[in-house]
Amino acid sequence: MSVFGSLRRAGAQPRSAASWGSWGIRYSAIAYLFVMILLPLSAVFFEGFRHGIGPFVRSLSEPIALSALRLTLLFALITTLVNAVMGTMTAYVLVRFHFPGRRLFNAFVDLPFAIPTLVTGVMLVVLYGPQGLLGEWLESRGFAVVFAKPGILLALLMVTYPFVVRAVQPVLGGLRRDHEEAAWTIGATRVRTFFSVVLPEILPAIATGALLTFARALGEFGSVVVVAGNIAGRTLTAPVHVYGQIESENRLAASSMSVLLLALSFSLILTVDLLQKRKRTPHAAR
Amino acid sequence: MQPDDQSSLHRRSGKRQEGQAGHFGRTALILTVVLYAAILILGPLVAIFWGAFSEGAARLIDELSTQQAFDALKLTLFLGLGATAINTVFGLCTAYILVRDRFAGRRFLNGVVDLPFAVSPVIAGLMLILLFGRGGWLEPLVNATGMKVVFAVPGMLLATCFVSLPFVIREVMPILQHVGTAHEEAAYIMGAGKWQAFWKVTLPSIRWGLVYGVVLTMARSLGEFGAVLVVSGGIVGLTETSTLFIFRTLDDRNVIAAYGMALVLAMVSFVLMLIVEFLKSRSSEFRGHNT
Amino acid sequence: MTPLRSATNCLTLIVIPLLALLGCCRQDTETGSPGRITLTLGAYTTPREAYGKAIIPAFQQFWKQKTGQDVEFQTSYQGSGAQSRAIISGFEADVAALSLAEDVEKIVEAGLITHDWKSGANRGIVSTSVVVVAVRSGNPLKIRDWTDLTRSGVEILSPDPRTSGGAMWNICAVYGAALRGKTGAQKDDRQAAAGFLEAVLRNVSVMDKGARESITNFEKGIGDVAVTYENEVLVGRKSGQRYDYVIPPSTILIENPAAVIDKYADKHGVQDAAKAFVDFLSTAEAQKAFAEHGLRPVHHEVAAELASRFPPVEDLWTIEYLGGWKQVMREIFSQNGVYSSVINRLHSSR
Repeated sequence: MSVFGSLRRAGAQPRSAASWGSWGIRYSAIAYLFVMILLPLSAVFFEGFRHGIGPFVRSLSEPIALSALRLTLLFALITTLVNAVMGTMTAYVLVRFHFPGRRLFNAFVDLPFAIPTLVTGVMLVVLYGPQGLLGEWLESRGFAVVFAKPGILLALLMVTYPFVVRAVQPVLGGLRRDHEEAAWTIGATRVRTFFSVVLPEILPAIATGALLTFARALGEFGSVVVVAGNIAGRTLTAPVHVYGQIESENRLAASSMSVLLLALSFSLILTVDLLQKRKRTPHAAR
Repeated sequence: MQPDDQSSLHRRSGKRQEGQAGHFGRTALILTVVLYAAILILGPLVAIFWGAFSEGAARLIDELSTQQAFDALKLTLFLGLGATAINTVFGLCTAYILVRDRFAGRRFLNGVVDLPFAVSPVIAGLMLILLFGRGGWLEPLVNATGMKVVFAVPGMLLATCFVSLPFVIREVMPILQHVGTAHEEAAYIMGAGKWQAFWKVTLPSIRWGLVYGVVLTMARSLGEFGAVLVVSGGIVGLTETSTLFIFRTLDDRNVIAAYGMALVLAMVSFVLMLIVEFLKSRSSEFRGHNT
Repeated sequence: MTPLRSATNCLTLIVIPLLALLGCCRQDTETGSPGRITLTLGAYTTPREAYGKAIIPAFQQFWKQKTGQDVEFQTSYQGSGAQSRAIISGFEADVAALSLAEDVEKIVEAGLITHDWKSGANRGIVSTSVVVVAVRSGNPLKIRDWTDLTRSGVEILSPDPRTSGGAMWNICAVYGAALRGKTGAQKDDRQAAAGFLEAVLRNVSVMDKGARESITNFEKGIGDVAVTYENEVLVGRKSGQRYDYVIPPSTILIENPAAVIDKYADKHGVQDAAKAFVDFLSTAEAQKAFAEHGLRPVHHEVAAELASRFPPVEDLWTIEYLGGWKQVMREIFSQNGVYSSVINRLHSSR
C-alpha cells in the first residue's frame, strides 16, 4: 500500500474508521438510541420490579391478567399457524406462477403494512358489525364476529398477513431449480417435490416470517381494541389489558404485563436476528 | 424473479397425465390464495368505501371539511414529517456508525435498533408516561423547561419517533455494507472532504434504500394510534391526530366522519404502498434481506 | 475534517429541526394575549353535547359581555376515571367536570385542587341523572327491573369501572338495589347482594371504556340491553336513535361534580374565568342546557319547570346510602372489594 502511504504523506485526508466515526456523529447516534429506546424501556422494567419480584409475579398471576395473557398467546399462535401456511402458499403462487394481475396482487400484499391498525379495526367493524355489509347477514345466522373471538382473529390475520409472504418470497425466488427438476425426472409429483425438496429449503424463511408474525400478533392493539369486547376470559387481550391498567393508573399491573410482553417479543426478535445472521454468514465475504 | 410454471425438463419427463391435474392444482392454488387475500384485505377495504359513502358524498365532504378534521390531519402530517425528519437524520448517523465504525458496544446497539418493532404501541405510550408524567424520571426536566411533554404534542412526537425508528436504519445499513468504502476512499484520494464525500458519493449510492426507509417511516408515523392514544390528552383540535379523530367520532355517533377519515388514511396508505412497490423494484439490486 | 467540525455539523442538523419543532410546540404553554384566553376543560363522556353545543357557547357570550375577553375552549372528553388519571398525570385542565365526586377527590388528593370545591350551594354538583336500562324498541324482552337482567340469555352492555365513572354508578345501582331488598335478595345481606351483582355481571358481554362507547355499541346492534345513564339514552334518542329505556323501581341518583383545578388555572393565569365557568354551570341558563341534553338539573326552579321530562323514580337513593364514595371505593372497587371478587369468580367459571 505504498501508494496510499505516499499520498497520506502528501496531505490527503486520513482514512481510518476511527476518524469517520468522529465523536460527533457517533455520540449523537448513541445518545439518540439511548434516549429514544434504552431509557424508556428501562423505565418500564424498573416500574415493573419497583416493589420487588413478589409483587411483580403476583400482579401477573391475577386471574384477569393470566387469562388476557393466555388468550393473547392462543390468538397469536393460531394467527401464526394460519398465516404461515397461507403466506407460504401465497409466496409460492407469486413466485412460481404466471397469471393475470400477478403484479398488482404482489403490490397488494404490502397493504396491511401501510394501513393504520385502527383503520383495520374500523374496516372490520364496518364489514362484520351488526349493521355492517356482511355483519347483518352473519348476525341473523347467529355468527358473532365483532366483539367475539373471530373478530380478533381476523384483525390479527390481516395485520400480520405480509410477514411470511415477504420472508419466503425472496428465498423461494432465489432457489436453484435443479433439485426440483431432478425430482421431477425421477417421477415425483409436484406436490411431493414441494414437500421433500422445496419446503426444507424455505423452512428457515418461513420460521423467520412466523416469528415476526407471532411477535406482531402479541403486541397488536389498534385493531383489536376496536373489534374486541374487552371481556376477561373471552375477548380481552394482553395489550388491551395493559391499556386498561394505564388508564386506571395501575402502574405496577401495566408495567409487569408490559415487561412480560417485551421479554417475549424481544426473544422472538433475537431469534429472528440469529436466524438471519446464520443465513447471511456465507455472504459475509462480500 | 421471473415466474415459471413450465419446465422443459418437466415436459420431457413424460408425465402426461400430470398435465391436467397439475393445471387444475395450479388454478386451485392461485384461487385459494387470491380468495384468502380478497376476504382478508379487499373485503374490509370495500366495506370502508361503502361505509364512508353510505350517506352520500356531500355528507362525507361536509364531515371531513370541519375545523376538527383539518386540525387532526394537520397534526398527523406534522407528527409524520417531524418523526420522519428526526428518524432520517439520526437514522443515517446510526446506520453509518453501525456499519463503518468500530467501538465497544456496537453489536449491542445494533440489537437495540430492532427493539421498537417488538414493543406494543401501548407500551410505548406507557414508557413515555413513566418518564415524563407525574413522578417520572424526567419530570424535573419537564418542569425546568416548562414544556409539556405528555398530554401534549411533544410527547406524541416522541411516541411517533419511537414506533417508526428502525426503518431508515434497517434499510440503509445493508446497502452501506454492500456498497463498501471503495468509492469513498477514491474520493478522499482525490481530495474530497468528509462531508463532500458523504453528499456526493455515499448518499447517492444508498439513495433508493434511504428513500424506501423514509417512506416506510412516514407510513408508520401517519398510522400510529396506540402510543398517541395513551400519551395525548385527547384534546380536540390540539392533540388529536387523524387516528384519534376516528376513535372519538365513533364515540360521537358521527360514523360518517369516522369512516370518512378512515377512508382518507386508507387511501394515503394505499398511495404510500404504491410508492413503496415502485421503490422496491428500483432498489431490488441493492436489497439483500427480508422484511 | 476535524472531529470538532463534524460534531458542529451534526449538532446543526439536530438543533435546527429541534428548534423549529420547539417553536411549534411552544404554542401549548402560551396563555395568549390579554384580549383572549384559553380555558381547558377535562370532562367525562356523557355531557359532550351539553357542553359543546350549548354551555360553552353560552359562557363565551356571557364572559365576553362581562369582561370583553374572548375565551377559547380546549376540551377533552373521556371516561371519568381516565380523565381524572390524566389530569393527575399531567394533563393541564383548568376545569374538571366529571361523573362522580370521587374522581374529583382524587385530584384533590394529588394536590391539584386546593380550595373546598364542595362548599357551594349544591356541594359542587352541577347535574344529575339516574341509572337506567336501555332496551330495544318495544322492550321485546319485557325488562322491568334489575332481576330481569339476571335471566339467562340476556346480553348486557355495561362499561368497565376501571376507566368509566358510568360503570361505577351502574355497579353501585345494582348492588345498592339488592342491599335495599328490592331485588328479592334479603335486605342488608351483603353476601346476597354480591351474589345478585354476580348474576347480573355474568350476562355482561362487552365492557367498553366509557358510557358513551357502551351506548353507541348498543345502538349498533350489540347486546340486548345496556345499563347506562338516563342522559345517554336521551341524547341518543335525540340524535335519531330508536330505542326505549326502563327506569328500575330502585336506582341510584348519579351526581356529577365540577371543580376548578387550582394548580393549572393559576399556572395559566385563568383562575377568574375558570371559577366563573364553574359558577356558570349552576345558573338557570346552563341548567336548562343540561336538561336539553338529558341531564336532570340541580337548580330547583329549572327542575320543577321541566319535571315532566324526567320521570320520577320510585325508590331513589344516593351514594350516601352505600356510605359515600370513600367507603364504596374501599368496599366495592378496591383490590379485594366486592366488584373485584365477583369479576374474578366469574372469570374463573368461564
